[in-house]
Amino acid sequence: MKIAVCVKQVPAAGDAKINPETKRIIREGGKAVVNPFDLYAIEEAVRIKERTGGEVIALSMGPEKAKAALTEALSMGVDRAVLLSDRAFGGSDTWATSYALAKAIEKIGGVDLILCGKQAVDGDTAQVGAGIAAKLDIMQAANVWRIEEIGADTVTVKRINERGWDVVRLAYPALLTVVKDINIPRIPKLRDARAARRAEIPVWKPEDIGADPDKIGLKSSPTQVVKTAPPAARGAETLKIDGSSEEAANVFVSELIRRKLV
Amino acid sequence: MKLLNEHDRESCRNVWIISEFLPDGELHAVSFELLGAARTLAEELGCEVWAAALGRDVSKAAPQLISRGADKVIAVEDGRLEYFNDEFECNILERLVCKYRPEILLGAATSRGRALIPRLAGKLYCGLTADCTGLSIDKETGVLLQTRPAFGGNIMATIQSGGFRPQMATVRPKVMKALEADPIRTGEIIYEAVTEKDGEKIKEIIKAVTEAQSNVNLSDANIIVSGGRAVKGPEGFRLLEELASRLGGAVGASRAAVDSGWIAYPHQVGQTGQTVQADLYIACGISGQIQHLIGMQSCKTIVAIDKDDSTPMMQMADIAIKGDLFEIIPKIIEELDKNGINKGGNKQ
Amino acid sequence: MNTEKNYLHKSYHVEIIPPKQDSEKLEEDLILFSSKLERVMNSGFTASITDNAMGLLAFQGHECIEELGIPIKPGQILIHLNTFHTKKDLHEILTGCLKLGITSILAVSGDGSTRLPKLSPADVEAENAASVTSVELISYIRKNFPQFRVGAAFNPYEPEKHEFEKLDRKLAAGASFVITQPIIDRNAAVDRLLREYPELPVVIEAWMSKKLYLLSDVVGYPIPEDAEYDPIATLQKLEDIYSGCGSYLSLLGFKTQYPIIEEMAKEGAV
Repeated sequence: MKIAVCVKQVPAAGDAKINPETKRIIREGGKAVVNPFDLYAIEEAVRIKERTGGEVIALSMGPEKAKAALTEALSMGVDRAVLLSDRAFGGSDTWATSYALAKAIEKIGGVDLILCGKQAVDGDTAQVGAGIAAKLDIMQAANVWRIEEIGADTVTVKRINERGWDVVRLAYPALLTVVKDINIPRIPKLRDARAARRAEIPVWKPEDIGADPDKIGLKSSPTQVVKTAPPAARGAETLKIDGSSEEAANVFVSELIRRKLV
Repeated sequence: MKLLNEHDRESCRNVWIISEFLPDGELHAVSFELLGAARTLAEELGCEVWAAALGRDVSKAAPQLISRGADKVIAVEDGRLEYFNDEFECNILERLVCKYRPEILLGAATSRGRALIPRLAGKLYCGLTADCTGLSIDKETGVLLQTRPAFGGNIMATIQSGGFRPQMATVRPKVMKALEADPIRTGEIIYEAVTEKDGEKIKEIIKAVTEAQSNVNLSDANIIVSGGRAVKGPEGFRLLEELASRLGGAVGASRAAVDSGWIAYPHQVGQTGQTVQADLYIACGISGQIQHLIGMQSCKTIVAIDKDDSTPMMQMADIAIKGDLFEIIPKIIEELDKNGINKGGNKQ
Repeated sequence: MNTEKNYLHKSYHVEIIPPKQDSEKLEEDLILFSSKLERVMNSGFTASITDNAMGLLAFQGHECIEELGIPIKPGQILIHLNTFHTKKDLHEILTGCLKLGITSILAVSGDGSTRLPKLSPADVEAENAASVTSVELISYIRKNFPQFRVGAAFNPYEPEKHEFEKLDRKLAAGASFVITQPIIDRNAAVDRLLREYPELPVVIEAWMSKKLYLLSDVVGYPIPEDAEYDPIATLQKLEDIYSGCGSYLSLLGFKTQYPIIEEMAKEGAV
């Protein structure tokens, strides 16, 4: 089994502060971490490999410093890692990113299974996984929370949705995006972390993966940001309810009724 | 790839919505919300609203879609469409989009839509903006302006993909306004057959299960009672369930509560759980880590119950109740009883 | 009990934080860790090695020792262990310690983070507990790894009734010594602890950083950032007040403070 796992480096969520005027979160960019959902994808890929044998390759697109995310993947048991990094990739939207990752997976060659996190927590779009599957024209399953069976020709998985779950069977090559509950990502051992830091992480450029220059980067991305603005205020007055439990409950329920919330 | 690229931009017309169905085959309310948004855009552009309806039997849904604002319904019926199959639906829609050439295509940001629509955008080579909270037409250029929260809601970004057709966006349930059903509204139903090629290279659906327990459906819930670390254990969540049941709401939880094993993962609200937009969100003993706040800040009214009134959640709340949740919640339940409020379970 | 108490008295507990998982200069950090540890060994002190302190991911003390082959005196090592692990990792830590001859554990609830898993009640044979605290952890270690002597934390800033009840549960679970949260002067709760549990070995944590305000979160009230604070003088004062107790030194400066501590130890031994 040859498994590719896609990893994104994202800013860590910092401490929560609330702007008292707008009741909105003040968010400061934390340091760079592996997208939390991708940790589950890495762990699942490594677990599958530990059962079936084979190879896991971690793949990321980003600046040079995104190698740190790949080093973490290597520490967790991924066999090798590749970084797509070039000025020409810069500003890629989800379409252009999926295109580049799909080209890289083609270049790796012979990949049976592609694992991605459900979404990246910085963009929250959940588009890159399905985008890669579309470009490779392979089967996909999103929100996978259990891998039921790794067969010779197919993989059977359980996906969750808003109302329950289903079990689906996909022929290889297949792409799965996984949710948090699928496993508990391992904490790297020192020995593996040291080896990972010594590992060579090749950097691939557009020409290395045979990417069409007109399909990567900012100018080839279908979506363009027109403007940004602060979100509307949430309303600044907090009704503070204090006092005995009876009083508090009484005031609160009256308030719910007054505001027609119940 | 069959691109609807820049050169035939002018030939693309009309606003499409991809209808969303519930497991029992009824239309999901978000379908009507998408129609409401589509109508506004279509009026601006002077074009029609089309609804694509893919299902085992859409004969009942088609007239409903028309009564809620669709001018035309593209009906595709096939037994295999009873359950969600990404590849199959994408193949059908890709073919229909290339045939009818919509200018704009809107989908629901549900677990189905968030898997299907990006696959479709990937195939068509067009732009897609996820989870839009605002859609409008640029008066000068006529392109679709799509507004969505970015960086965890820190900023609102307005995005366009006017160089590509169709311009695609997904919208979460409960964000857009549906139109009242108009039973005398007329429209046309176009039946499209499934082709052999549509069914090639598609996955096999082995089993689909709808959970009996309905208080877990956070994305559609109008009221969510949510608990954190201070709920202290599974027993505490029984209390929250009781309150949620009285209010007809769902039960949510913070990551800490889920990771402690007190409640199942589908209840988790926040960055690695669900994003919710309830009318009323009651946070019980949740201090408000940023990962949690990101997932529930779009709720209309936020209530926090906590002993400590300095937490981010108590600061963000519209109503902040200071005190012990184990004392206050039973009193709230009593108070609801006095006022005759008991929805007796979730009505999703 | 008495031998244990004597042992603790003779020894300063020097807190050492292992290298962080996200370190960009891991090899350098490992060398530093190794040199600190050897120095503490040579001084005859106890190295008290933290476990993902503040929820920040770090490598485990025992794996650093093993991987680097650091010469240790196992009796001079105290390994912290919190409740944020998988059962598999918990067992690896405990068996890893035993392999190195380390038999002292400080069991604490600890700080979680999004990355750290949490032990479930079933993991530690405590199915009736709502969640795993230090009590369940102590009990599990004592039952399944009786070779370890297990210590517990004592927080003099918690409401006294609650903290003493909790202490009783920790002792009932098998804890045989306690280490306090940092104090900077005579403390009523610590006085009561020594009065009511005369046989219990107690180690007092002294705050060795000049940045006293970092203690604000622990003590529960704000300490101004410019508060004047002399760590060495405070340590000496605490040793005078609590002469029957050991001292736990957190955030000890190895360049300037450590030689002073070594001197103090020699004087104390006379």
